[in-house]
Amino acid sequence: MLWLISLLLLTVMASMVRVVVGPTRADRLLAIQLFGTAGTAVLLMMAYLWGQPALIDAALIIALLAAVITSALVQFLRREHHD
Amino acid sequence: MAVVDWVYDGLLALLVLGLAAGALYSLSLYRAVVFYIALGLVLALVWARLGAPDLALAEAAIGAGLTGVLLLSALKHQPNKARLMGWPWLPGLTGIAILLLLIMMVKAVWGLPQGMAAVGQAALLAVPESGVEHPVTAVLLNFRAWDTLLEVLVVLLALLALRQLTLPDETFPDAWPLLLAWSRLLAPLSLLLGIYLLWRGADAPGGAFQSGALIAAGLLMLRLVGLSPALPWSRFGVRLSILIGPTIFLLAAMATASLGAGWLAFPPDWSKALILLIEVAATTSIAISLALLVGSDSRELNQ
Repeated sequence: MLWLISLLLLTVMASMVRVVVGPTRADRLLAIQLFGTAGTAVLLMMAYLWGQPALIDAALIIALLAAVITSALVQFLRREHHD
Repeated sequence: MAVVDWVYDGLLALLVLGLAAGALYSLSLYRAVVFYIALGLVLALVWARLGAPDLALAEAAIGAGLTGVLLLSALKHQPNKARLMGWPWLPGLTGIAILLLLIMMVKAVWGLPQGMAAVGQAALLAVPESGVEHPVTAVLLNFRAWDTLLEVLVVLLALLALRQLTLPDETFPDAWPLLLAWSRLLAPLSLLLGIYLLWRGADAPGGAFQSGALIAAGLLMLRLVGLSPALPWSRFGVRLSILIGPTIFLLAAMATASLGAGWLAFPPDWSKALILLIEVAATTSIAISLALLVGSDSRELNQ
């Protein structure tokens, strides 16, 4: 189980590369999305592994707020020519 | 410890350090903000790993979620070629300050007794008398309610400070149809999740701040896509809902001080009802204040 979590953390690390390299804002946005998805998965596995149901709530929050952040990013920083 | 523990902990630590370095040293502000949001998320994982689900929950709701939206709105108002200002002596000075802080912290932590301290045990024993079942909520709203009262006041102060600034008008482009449909789904869900967290705070991790952050996220979602206007400061109801949390908290404090055992010392028979009342009022205030902090109503400010 811990190996699987470690594997998920490795995918998060891979998305860090995308944040640095970019090149467009959309690439970095997708990297955040991957962070959110992987983070949700890690929290769910931790909840199962250590019998901590409260971590399922945390996973739920992260899944929801990652979507809110994406929408906020789009609405705040959309460039005119993308319209 | 098995090898896998080391791999797993090491990966988490590397991620935190890497993201923090990225947030600090990125040359573009946008990239720094993206790193910072990711850092909040990974910090939630670290708290979960350390066996502190309450903190993981709070970090997920406030650190990863709402702070990110706040930073993005700040980023929007930056001039196009915003560059980080640099003072040549600043990094050295900060380094010295951090080093001193680190020495002090190491000295403080070194002296702590191993295992659970006496005060922790006393708190755990007193939980049944507190009116709630979850130890963290019992500490936050009963044993150390004074701290929580001050935290609620901090949110109020932040909002009042923001209202002293002249901010540019917050306008958003017309949302794409997909985003509109998405936010119609997300906003009720965050409201539901917020209320759930508030209710759950009595016997499990949750509570006013997390719940308020979730509800604020739902309100902001509607505001971002233009489904709801900015919360109008001129409305009496808006200002009332901002003040109701601190007011009820302070009233409870004064009532217990003059009629009961002392400042915020709740009588055991009443504590459940009092804590619930304070939590609901504080959640309302926190939700509305946080929503106003990001999607502020600047039209009236500029009149």
